[in-house]
Amino acid sequence: MFGLPDITIAVVGFVVIVSFAALLYWGLTFKGHD
Amino acid sequence: MADILTAVVVAVYFLLMIGIGIWASKKIKTTEDYLVAGRSLGFWVFVLLMIGTVCSGMSLLGVSGLGYRAGWPTIWEQIFVPLSIGFCVIFFGVKLHNVAKSAGYITVQDYLAHRYQSPTALRSLAAVAGIIVSLIYLVGQYTAIAIVLMWLFAIPLWLALVIATVVTMIYTTIGGLYAVAWASLIQSIILIVGIFVMAPIIIYYAGGFTHINEVMASVNPNLVMPWMPTGAFAPAYIVSFAIMLMVGLACAPHVINNVLAIKDVKYFKWAPLAAFIIYGIAMFLLKFSGFAGLVMVKEGVFTLPTVSNATDFVILYGIQYSLPIMALWAIFAVIVLAAVMSTTDRLMLTIGAMGSWDLYKKILKPDASDKNVLLLSKILVVLSAVGTMVLAINPPEALASLIWMGIGIMLSTFAVPLLAGLYWRGATREGALASMALGLASALVFGALNYFKITLCGYNFATIPVHFSFYPLIISVVVMVVVSMITKKTDTKILDETQTGWYISKQ
Repeated sequence: MFGLPDITIAVVGFVVIVSFAALLYWGLTFKGHD
Repeated sequence: MADILTAVVVAVYFLLMIGIGIWASKKIKTTEDYLVAGRSLGFWVFVLLMIGTVCSGMSLLGVSGLGYRAGWPTIWEQIFVPLSIGFCVIFFGVKLHNVAKSAGYITVQDYLAHRYQSPTALRSLAAVAGIIVSLIYLVGQYTAIAIVLMWLFAIPLWLALVIATVVTMIYTTIGGLYAVAWASLIQSIILIVGIFVMAPIIIYYAGGFTHINEVMASVNPNLVMPWMPTGAFAPAYIVSFAIMLMVGLACAPHVINNVLAIKDVKYFKWAPLAAFIIYGIAMFLLKFSGFAGLVMVKEGVFTLPTVSNATDFVILYGIQYSLPIMALWAIFAVIVLAAVMSTTDRLMLTIGAMGSWDLYKKILKPDASDKNVLLLSKILVVLSAVGTMVLAINPPEALASLIWMGIGIMLSTFAVPLLAGLYWRGATREGALASMALGLASALVFGALNYFKITLCGYNFATIPVHFSFYPLIISVVVMVVVSMITKKTDTKILDETQTGWYISKQ
């Protein structure tokens, strides 16, 4: 796809999705006060 | 290359920045106003200040230049640099902001001095180390400004450097962090909109995303792989590179000090995700522009100039040939200048803060008046600008490597004392001092050995399998743990005051 090997799409895509999910989780769970 | 319209566009941008400085100067009454904008930054001003601070000369020129040289294995830069903002907010920001508000910190050195009960030794070491790494980083930024002005106006390097320095110096000196933050807001908007509009045009002109990847694969199949088989950008290097970018940038003095200036801790909730999405997309587009530049060169659309740092020019030439309208080049030049200046101003202000507040007010002359501290901050901003301008007269071969060196030294110097200080109650003053001193010294040594390709005892340091900062980081961790275990523990009262412990935010 897009002229790229599958491994490039899989590895880069995986890291981007995991990073996004981690920051989304932070946003949903952070209470905003100490 | 420049015509009157081009000069007008750039001049309007410069005048706008100076105007922000004059406006901001009216809001400044105290050193706290000057250095942390009166702790008044809102959500978007903070998010865009963080993006503007992290997005430097490397982000436009170096990122695309690196993409041109090494292809997809360098894409990790586009993920871990945006993640550094989230790392800074989550692992440093929440705690530091809470403690800073009650303890009145102006700089992160205030925190280190408090947490480690070291008002003189650690504060001065941290300030001096911060000034050294900020200066190295600044040289890279001024080089980037000079590249753009030389390209656009065909003027000599020294004149380009003088113009860039004077404009940045004026608005930073008079307006402090208020000016830097609001200038960054405008610079980041220009930057993001500019990249989102211009990068797709370059990619389209080069034949589209799929065609670019196909041409790269035909040049060298490794250029479309997620890593290189050996050397730089092999898997081991990428892991050390990711740590260096994400953690090193997060704890860099000019980045971490921003968390002290936010108005309310609740803004930390969505700032990491917002910054990751906005900046991540912009960074990917920039990298793809570098790939497009490679394809255009291979297909004979243009050739790069015969200078030592030729690949850093790739996005500029890409714009020039994809958009044959001179006024658009000027707009792109403003975009690049915005990216570079948004980091440069923050670095200069950070040097001013560390010199005037940490070294002068807190160590050399504690009874100094607020007026004198403010004046010294401004003098140091001017001196740092002029000093680095002189250093930037001989530009490095590749902008990215110099800027990474700065980030690598920041990582080795500050990451361990800060993370251990915030999360490990066993970390002691002696541990922090030893960790910071040896981290800095070993980073300077490893950095020099690697940068100058020195062979020592038969081992060539240009071929180490990881980023050079990985070794000093390990040294810093080991020293912190060993020295802390054999030295006197920190008072429980101080540990409670500085919210030290294995949590990010108390529920």
